[in-house]
Amino acid sequence: MRSNDLILRTTTALIAFILLGFSVYLFFAGHNSPGGGFIGGLMTASAIVLMYMTYGFDVIRKVLPFNYNILIGLGLMTALLTAIGSFAFNQPFLSHTFDHFHIPIFGDVELATAMLFDLGVYLTVIGVTLTIILSIAEDN
Amino acid sequence: MAFQVVLNLIIAFMYMFLSETYGVGTFLFGYLIGLFLLFLLQRFIPDAFYLKRIYYIVRLILLFLKELVKSNFSIVKLVYKPKLDIKPGIFMLPTELRSNWEVTLLANLITLTPGTLSVAVSDDQSRIYIHAMDIPDVEAEIKGIKDTFEKAIMEVTR
Repeated sequence: MRSNDLILRTTTALIAFILLGFSVYLFFAGHNSPGGGFIGGLMTASAIVLMYMTYGFDVIRKVLPFNYNILIGLGLMTALLTAIGSFAFNQPFLSHTFDHFHIPIFGDVELATAMLFDLGVYLTVIGVTLTIILSIAEDN
Repeated sequence: MAFQVVLNLIIAFMYMFLSETYGVGTFLFGYLIGLFLLFLLQRFIPDAFYLKRIYYIVRLILLFLKELVKSNFSIVKLVYKPKLDIKPGIFMLPTELRSNWEVTLLANLITLTPGTLSVAVSDDQSRIYIHAMDIPDVEAEIKGIKDTFEKAIMEVTR
């Protein structure tokens, strides 16, 4: 069936990418300015929900063939491993550190282990949000 | 492909403006993010992921350079042979390429590799007439061109 939601479909193809780009910015901005794993994950989830709303289940399930339940476990595991990792350096649980690195082209970059923890939060938030929304939407 | 490049540039510029640091590094990082997103959603966008096509273009260029060196050596061998026992001839190459660009590219690649020279394209653009300097086996020559250049061009354009 051909539906007449042409404008929605065309703009979604563009806006979904802009939303995803913004969510990645929010994720990386978290250290020094407003943002972080939670809001970045929510923004990513909202972009994916927009795609689901526009194109329907069957199409997007082919586009993103992930199981979002696994994303929750993956995120929790990342956060846990980051926390446990501090034991390897004889530090208490959840100790974090950062350092400045000089990478060619990018210049001076500050890398913190807190970002790995944030990545865990990010993945968990995406997984939880999409699992909730999709399981409610699929329920008949 | 053009749509994907524009989208990638939009994401890169957006990232640069959002982080308010205007430099090559930030732009490149934004571009990499866009590349990653396009890779992740490659079934969502029309056409194939455009890095794949760039990879095929690079492969075509490398293939051309390889063939160029190889056939130059064979021509040198022919030139320095004391006895001239070559068998020149014109043969017809049926091609599956259709668009103007594809046929032109194939004809030019055949001309630029020494030993063969594309003479004319048939009216319906389905055959190319090629003059070869030394051609012991027509079928092998046709198969050689079809396997290398035509296949590589088809990978780039479709």
